[in-house]
Amino acid sequence: MKTVDIIQRAGRNLRRAKMRTFLTSVAIAIGGFAIMASLMVGEGARQYVDRIIKSNLDPNALMIAKDKRVTSAQVNGGGEDGLTEYNPNSMTRNGRDYETLTTKDIEVLRKRNDIKQVEPSYQVQPKYITFSQSKKKKYVGQVMMRDNTLQMEVAAGKSVASGDALANGEAIIPEIYAEKLGKSAQEMVGSKLNLVVTQQPQQASAATIQQVYATKGDAGVQELLKGKTLSKPFTIVAVAKKSPDQISSPSSVYINAHDAKNLSEFSTVGTSAHRKYFYVLATVKHGTPEEVRDRLNGSGYHAATAQDIQGVIFTFINILQGIVLGFGLLALVVSVFGIINTMYISVLERTQQIGLMKALGASRRDIGRLFRYEAAWVGFLGGAFGVLSAWGIGTLINPSISKSLGLGDNSLLIFQPGVGATVVLALVLVAIVAGWLPSRKAAKLDPVEALRTE
Amino acid sequence: MRVIRRYEYLVVKLLAVYKIYSKGKRCMIDIRHITKTYGKKKNVFTALKDINLQIKEGTSVAILGKSGSGKSTLMHAISGLDKPQQGEVLVGDKDILRLKPRATDKFRAREMGFIFQSFFVEGGETCYDNVSLALETAGVPRAGRKQRIIEALEAVDLGDKIKSRAKDLSGGQKQRLAVARAIVGRPKILFADEPTGNLDSTTSQVIEDLLFGYCKETEATLIIVTHDEDLAKRCQRIIYIKDGEVEKDSMSSRPVKSAKPSATKSPKKTTDKKTRSNTPARRAK
Ligand SMILES: Nc1ncnc2c1ncn2[C@@H]1O[C@H](COP(=O)(O)OP(=O)(O)OP(=O)(O)O)[C@@H](O)[C@H]1O
Ligand SMILES: [Mg+2]
Repeated sequence: MKTVDIIQRAGRNLRRAKMRTFLTSVAIAIGGFAIMASLMVGEGARQYVDRIIKSNLDPNALMIAKDKRVTSAQVNGGGEDGLTEYNPNSMTRNGRDYETLTTKDIEVLRKRNDIKQVEPSYQVQPKYITFSQSKKKKYVGQVMMRDNTLQMEVAAGKSVASGDALANGEAIIPEIYAEKLGKSAQEMVGSKLNLVVTQQPQQASAATIQQVYATKGDAGVQELLKGKTLSKPFTIVAVAKKSPDQISSPSSVYINAHDAKNLSEFSTVGTSAHRKYFYVLATVKHGTPEEVRDRLNGSGYHAATAQDIQGVIFTFINILQGIVLGFGLLALVVSVFGIINTMYISVLERTQQIGLMKALGASRRDIGRLFRYEAAWVGFLGGAFGVLSAWGIGTLINPSISKSLGLGDNSLLIFQPGVGATVVLALVLVAIVAGWLPSRKAAKLDPVEALRTE
Repeated sequence: MRVIRRYEYLVVKLLAVYKIYSKGKRCMIDIRHITKTYGKKKNVFTALKDINLQIKEGTSVAILGKSGSGKSTLMHAISGLDKPQQGEVLVGDKDILRLKPRATDKFRAREMGFIFQSFFVEGGETCYDNVSLALETAGVPRAGRKQRIIEALEAVDLGDKIKSRAKDLSGGQKQRLAVARAIVGRPKILFADEPTGNLDSTTSQVIEDLLFGYCKETEATLIIVTHDEDLAKRCQRIIYIKDGEVEKDSMSSRPVKSAKPSATKSPKKTTDKKTRSNTPARRAK
C-alpha cells in the first residue's frame, strides 16, 4: 500500500474513535507542554542573562582571585569544608575560608604588561549611612566600588557613560534610596550623604595606656580602647535608574576606588581582612582575554573572563531548566504507556479489520505501518496541542511574569518556532516507538484467525 | 424477477467495460497433495487430507459440504491466506505457498477477490473508502481509482450510497458493497465463502447474479463455498467435501444430474426459496 493511503486510513481510524484519540493525545500533550515550557524558560533566561552580561560586563574584563572557588562562583555556598588548615592569607565568608589576594599580589599584577587597571575589590561595610535630605535618621545600606567600564542609566544628575569615573567624594545612589527617603531623584542630586565606618579597637601597649591615662584620665583610655569611627561625606552626583538590564540592579551606593580603598582600609585595620581581597578586576591590555587568563592561571592565580562568568550563570540556568525538563520527560514516559495500552486494546478490537485487510492483500508491513502511523498521528496531535498551548499560555502570561520579576521589556518565556517544530517531531517519534509493540502484534495477526472472529 | 433483470442489465453494462480492461491472463489452479493439520501430538486434527484438484480458469466451482468439513480451510489454502503443512497450490505458473509472504500478498491483492458470509465491510468507513481499500492494497495509483470505484459501486447498484457509511447499509447492501470491493480490482479468481448465508432469497439471488455475471463477462474463476445446493447447482462444477477429503467431484458443466441428495447434507432437497432463506439459521456457528 502507498504511504499516503495508509496515513489517510490511519487518520480516518482515529477520527472515528475521537474520544480515545483525544484522551491518548492529552497525555502526550502534557509532556509536550512541560518540555516546551522548560525550553521556553531556558531560552528566555539565557537571552535575559546574555543581555545583562553584555551591558554589564566588559568583554575584556578579567576577574582574578587566589581561590578557585571565587571565580567559579561558589562564594555563596555553605560552609561544609569543616576544619581547614589556618592560612594567614585567608578570609572567612559565610563560614568558608577563602584564600585571598594580598597587597603583594596586587603589586605583582600591576607590574604585568598584559593587563591594566588592576583594581582590588574593596569591601566597604558601613555601619550606617546618613543623608542630608533626612537629617534625623540613620540607614543601613550597601556600598560598592564603581566599575568604570560600565554605563549606568541615571534618573537624575550627571550622565554616567562607560569610562566615566567618579571623582573623590562623589557618590551615586540608586533610585530606590530616593523613594525610601520620600524625595525625588532631582532633589537628591547635589545633596550629601555620610558613610560611617568603624574601626575595631586597637591593641595598645601598657605604656601608651598609662600615658593616655595621665593626660586624659579614665575617659581617655576608654576612648583609646573603644575603636574609632570615621564619617566620610559624599556629594550625590547622580541617581541610578532601576533597570532590568542591570546585573547588580542598583541597590547600593557607588563610590570610586580611591574612596572605597580608604574606607575599607580604615575599617579593616587590625583585622584579618586588612589588605586582603577576594578578587581584583583588571582589563586585558594585550591578547585575548582567554590567553591572559591562561597565563594568569599558570602563575598561581585563578582568573575568569567575562565569558567564564557568563558560563557559570548559564550552568545555573541549565540546572533549573533540567528540572522542569525532567518533569516533562516523566509525563512523556507515562504517556508512552498510555499509547501502548490504548493501541493494544485497539488491535484486539480491530482483529477483523486487520484480517480483512490481509485477505485483500495488505502485507504485514502495511498493517504495521497503519498502526504506527496512527500512533504518529496521536503523537502529532498531542505534540502540536502541547507545544501550541505552551506558546499561547506563554504569550499570555509573559507580561505579568516580567512585571512581577521586574524584567522590564524582557520576556521570560521565549517561543522559537524551530524548537517547537523539533519538539513536535520528537514527540511523533516517541509515539511511533510506543506504537511499535502493538503494531507488531497487529502485523503478526493470523488473517484466518482474525476472519473467524465475529 | 423484475429486480433481478435490472441487476442483470447493470452487470452486463458494467462488465462490458471490464472486458476491455482484462488482459485474459491464464490462471489455472492446480492443487496438489494439500494437507492441513491443526494442533500438536495427541490432539492433531487433520482438516484437509491430501486434496488434489485442478480448476480451469473461467469455471465456476462450488465447494459443498457439511459444517466443519473443511471448506473454508480449503478456500484459505487456495488463496494463500493459510499455509497448509504439505502440498502446493499452483496458480498459473506460481506456487503461491512457496512465494515470499509479500509476493503472496501482492498476488492476492491483484488477482483475487473475496466475499465473506458476514460481509466484513468497515462500518465506520464510507462505501467509497471500503471499495478503495482493495485498490490501495493492489497498489493502483490514486488517479485511476475514482472512476473504477464509482463504476464498481454502480455495478452493484450502490451508486447513490457512495458517501454513506457502510454501517448504515442493510445486510444485502453490505454484501453488495463487499461484491463491489471484490470485483473493483478485476481479479482473475473470485472467492466467496457462504456469500448468501446471511441474506434472504431475493437478495441472495441478486448477489449470485452479480457474482456469476462478473465471472462470465471477465472469464474469471469463481470459487463458492456453500451449504446451499441450489446455489451450488448454478456452478459449472461441484466439489463435495467430507471430513477434509474430496468425496465427490462433478465435472459436468450444468450439474442437473449431480443434484441428487448430497451425502454431506440433509437429504431434504428443495428448490423452495423460502427454505433457502433459512439456511443460516440451520447452520451451527
Ligand atoms: N485453528 C484451528 N484449530 C483447530 N481446529 C480448527 C482450527 N480451524 C479450523 N479447525 C477445524 O477444522 C475443521 C474445518 O474447519 P472449516 O472452517 O474449514 O469448516 P467449514 O467446512 O468451513 O465449516 P462451516 O460450513 O461451518 O464454515 C473444523 O472441524 C474445525 O474445527
Ligand atoms: Mg466455513
